[in-house]
Amino acid sequence: MAFYEASRDPCLRAVYAVVGDRRLAEDLVAEGFARAWASWSKVSKHPAPRAWVLRTALNLRVSWWRRRRRERPLLGADHVSPPGSAEGIDPIIMAALNRLSRRQREVIVLRVLLDLDTHSTASVLGIAPGTVTAHLARAADALERDLAENHYPMTMERNR
Amino acid sequence: MNDEVLTLVGDGFSGLEMKTPLEEIYTKCRRHRRTRHLASAVAVGAVTAVAAGVTAITVAPASHPAKPANARLAAFSISAGANGSSALTLRKGQQYRLDPAALRQTLAQHGIPALVTVGKACDSSPEPTGLDQAVTEQRHPGGSVTLTINPREMPPASELSIGYFTTSTVLALIQQGAPLHCTTLPGPK
Repeated sequence: MAFYEASRDPCLRAVYAVVGDRRLAEDLVAEGFARAWASWSKVSKHPAPRAWVLRTALNLRVSWWRRRRRERPLLGADHVSPPGSAEGIDPIIMAALNRLSRRQREVIVLRVLLDLDTHSTASVLGIAPGTVTAHLARAADALERDLAENHYPMTMERNR
Repeated sequence: MNDEVLTLVGDGFSGLEMKTPLEEIYTKCRRHRRTRHLASAVAVGAVTAVAAGVTAITVAPASHPAKPANARLAAFSISAGANGSSALTLRKGQQYRLDPAALRQTLAQHGIPALVTVGKACDSSPEPTGLDQAVTEQRHPGGSVTLTINPREMPPASELSIGYFTTSTVLALIQQGAPLHCTTLPGPK
């Protein structure tokens, strides 16, 4: 199915960014897609089916001892990779993402990882498109400062 | 806007790829379609049972003003706390001993309407908000968890859904009378 092929990785990355556990994220996304297909006549009419999968996947989670880490990731050591962390994920980027405000993180997840446009992101979050743009700009600034403070090499330097 | 840093974020996740084969998704989908009606029927029964328990609790204080009794079983214990809250401790490794009906009844005695399931977790559509206000958790070194549940913080006409798996427990608030979606999704390691 074309939707699955095109959307599975973005959905997985978005869910992983929230739950912080590779295996759990994969299970949740798989279930999210299964439910999407089971209700495809409805989901296909959704303005952003990827967002439907994301929301369904996240509604399925809430394992309590992981939820604590997800919702309060700033407590304690930021530089320790959590259990279940994934290969293929830059832990410094992940930690920086977790240090954003909740709203900024949501906008990054939807706009960057899930690759939704501004209007779809605004619709999902129930905020104005201009507010999405503002949160995204502030998130980008905060991430840049955070990465600089952690001496994270930017693109040109990393490619050397 | 700093597009470079947003590109970095995208690149930081680019190595993460979904490995679940398409066939497995199809299988889950077919199973979900088959079980949807059955799940709904079970859910209605469970909600009805819980509603009956709530009714009993609503009536109980007039004739039984005492605090609800504490309970201690192999799989869980519960005690009344401050401000109408109750502390429920679920002991990891004792899942096979959990009697969902017993836990649900005990919670009802503490004024907490709940749907308790073993090996599956249920949520509703719509899903009420406020779980974090109603439930706080404390994890113990052995893996057991104490939930402090305050039914006064639960939205009206909501229930606490507790899905008990071998290695984790899934919590959600569900809306009374709303369609339930139950999954056998295994919990995290």
